[in-house]
Amino acid sequence: MRPPLLRCLLVALPVMAGNAFAADPAASPYQSAHRGGTLRLTADASGGTLDPQINYVSTNAQIFAVTNDGLTTYAHVDGPGSAVVVPDLADSLPTPLDGGRTYVFHLHPGVRFSTGQPVRPSDVLATMQRIFKVGSPTAGSFYGGIVGAAHCLKDALHCTLAGGVEADDAAGTVTFHLTQPDGEFFDKLAMPHASVVPADTPGHDLGNVPAAATGPYEITEFDPNHGMVLERNPYFRVWSAVAQPEGYVDRIQYDFGLGDEAQVTAVENGQYDWMFNNKPLDRLAELGDRYASQVHIQNMFAIFYMPMNMNLPPFDNLEARQAVNYAVNRRAMAILFGGSAVADPLCEMVPTGIPGRIDRCFYSSGADPDHSVPAWQKPDLARARALVEASGTKGAKVTLIAPNRAIDVSMGLYLQNTLQQIGYDTSVKFVTDSVAFNYIQNTSNKVQISLTDWYADYPAPSNFLDDLFGCENFHPGSDSSINISGVCDAHLQATMDRAGRISVTDPAAGNALWAQAGRQVMKLSAAAPLIQFKYVDLVSRRLGHYTYTLLTHMLFSQVWVR
Amino acid sequence: MAMALLRRLGQTVLVLFGISVLVFLVFFATPGADPTARIAGRNASPETMALIRHQYGFDRPLPVQYERMMVSLFVTRDLTSFVDHGERVVPEVFRAAPVTLSLVFGAAIVWVLASIGMGTLATALRGSLVDRGLMILGLIGISMPVFWLGEVINLVTQSRMHDSWMFSWVPGLGYVPLTQDPVGWFKVLVIPWITLAILFIGIYGRVLRADLVAAYSEDFMRTAQAKGLSASRVLFRHGLRTSMITFVSLFGLDFAQLVGGGALLTEVVFGLQGVGRLTYQALSNLDLPLIMATVMYSAVFVVLANALVDILYVLLDPRVRDAG
Repeated sequence: MRPPLLRCLLVALPVMAGNAFAADPAASPYQSAHRGGTLRLTADASGGTLDPQINYVSTNAQIFAVTNDGLTTYAHVDGPGSAVVVPDLADSLPTPLDGGRTYVFHLHPGVRFSTGQPVRPSDVLATMQRIFKVGSPTAGSFYGGIVGAAHCLKDALHCTLAGGVEADDAAGTVTFHLTQPDGEFFDKLAMPHASVVPADTPGHDLGNVPAAATGPYEITEFDPNHGMVLERNPYFRVWSAVAQPEGYVDRIQYDFGLGDEAQVTAVENGQYDWMFNNKPLDRLAELGDRYASQVHIQNMFAIFYMPMNMNLPPFDNLEARQAVNYAVNRRAMAILFGGSAVADPLCEMVPTGIPGRIDRCFYSSGADPDHSVPAWQKPDLARARALVEASGTKGAKVTLIAPNRAIDVSMGLYLQNTLQQIGYDTSVKFVTDSVAFNYIQNTSNKVQISLTDWYADYPAPSNFLDDLFGCENFHPGSDSSINISGVCDAHLQATMDRAGRISVTDPAAGNALWAQAGRQVMKLSAAAPLIQFKYVDLVSRRLGHYTYTLLTHMLFSQVWVR
Repeated sequence: MAMALLRRLGQTVLVLFGISVLVFLVFFATPGADPTARIAGRNASPETMALIRHQYGFDRPLPVQYERMMVSLFVTRDLTSFVDHGERVVPEVFRAAPVTLSLVFGAAIVWVLASIGMGTLATALRGSLVDRGLMILGLIGISMPVFWLGEVINLVTQSRMHDSWMFSWVPGLGYVPLTQDPVGWFKVLVIPWITLAILFIGIYGRVLRADLVAAYSEDFMRTAQAKGLSASRVLFRHGLRTSMITFVSLFGLDFAQLVGGGALLTEVVFGLQGVGRLTYQALSNLDLPLIMATVMYSAVFVVLANALVDILYVLLDPRVRDAG
């Protein structure tokens, strides 16, 4: 394999290092001298509906970060502090009552929507009901634990959440009752799907019409085929600089239509200040070489992995699955992604920066599930071949499914070769990107093994363990069955359930249990983790005060152009 | 005449019906094309999936879904995209049409003028080095894929030589409406016009030369020459006119398919938000309502263009006129 050119060129670029978590995120002081101007953004296409309770696309999550607020949010600060949940519309994070089943939030007084109406507890109640009425993607997975949610999921139209959410406009409080303790409840309330909207917001998908804003900006124009304009929300006053700071630019112009190559050129030429899409591999060397000062490489909670179908041969066999984990060359995958500056080999399902990791490697040369090593060394093909032989699956026909994006194609072809080397008659099928992710989830498509990526909604181990390997997320015959491996292991599920409960009162003990669950997943070898990759940002020469948050990336309100 | 029009209308309806059924069935026969999960979002619960399936009518039989889609496309015209949920696809296509028309009309003028010049010059100088040189150039033009050529031109004009005196006038990629800034409109389109036209100049120039050369062996051309008409009059008045028949029929179909979205790659490469780019986006996202709208729009143009070409035949070829 050729030496990775990018590794040489990009290695010197600034990389945000260290643990993702800081104790007390602090807002940087507002510098009025830099206020004003228009921030120009470019993307290939719009992010779809403007309904914050329905949209689940990162393009719009980045917009909602400066237009809308929930009771909680992730700190709007640069770097590791941005992974910390802070109170937003609520004036503090309440102490869990009733063993973690009840939370009483008190709202900041004086906060207004962009319509001029005050934000009241009854708006919060209506928002939570609306999540179910409009069929929010996370209605079940994030908010299904609220008392009354089960009824709302069955009969969305008549959803009241009676007994689950109580609003007291006079006292300014909202009380939540959960069916069981949930250590990630504050995280879930920080998601855009829980953005508080006025109670009179229509109970259907808003589509091209923006919801009333609470943040420093509001969407004033939108055409999914051309672009979007954000202007200052006239009713915005800072109530918490950490949760929702004042914005610098007066206007944000977001144009849609340019492909990734054209976006890079346009930012290099100063026609735009920032581009949304991933930077094409063939341009990374040029960026590292000529525009290093405009490039930012940032940590991100995102991985590439290969789920193996535990209900279909040959991967219904533990030894066959372990063979794959021993055989994959994780360093080669990192190189194919762009080099060591932008990707690292990954030994477990939970990426670096999230608590509850094992920080050990089970499948590497010189390691096995009972004798782990601190870091991945190299593949162990001899052991992989022996395991395939012992499993009696040698010569089996295997089809690897991967999306048809450039990076996935090169990775897919490499992995096909690896599987052939250990004794499988392997073919690879590339499926159009928009379909691939749902295609590999449906058991009717009989996918044996696939290549996919996965991003955290919020920085918690459950995003990579319970979501991907929990019994409740396996739905045979459905395109929405994110437990792609089809694993439902009673022992593993019990560990994850216990971790979730204990985390409410004892996060450290919870994290230890999550690490135990991660170990169990790797022992089952339900999937082969490949790499954790980074986020490459390209900005214009004039853009200043670059501010990066771990979950929604560059913070549009905190950068300046003058 | 009325019968002929009615017949043409009947054919159009039949073609549109056939294409729409085909698009609909191919979409639902594609594995993984079920839009429910993509609309519902990542990790949607079974209850949410059921709600979305019901809201969008995916739980109904396919003929009912087809009928509902056709009614919202052609009658109520409120069919909305599966990706941009609030976006009505019919107005979206009509908003994109001026971009495509601007691109295709400009390119058509370039390629018609250049290919007529190329074809007639090569014929007038047939057998010479100029003739061979032009034909080789035409072949090179045909052989260069438009997306590759477009990317290379972008690389030169937008990136590598953007700051040089030659290309510093080239604006960023994208579209500027004619009504908003005519000079800006011309500047953003002139390079896409030439890029799109190069392929057609090659084809049309070569076709025209072949037809003109063949025409010289026809009796009417010999008669014209025998009457003592000048060489240029024989070439332009008699030869070119009859040789334009293939040219015009080709032009009708090419122009129609380009206006209908066939300039897809040019639009994508140059960031022009026309019908072609909409089609590209619809296909990339498997957005059935938008696919259906762009395909229907394209089909209408191709059928209309065929009818126009038939009429032009009558004007150009006396034999067709007399037979009529």
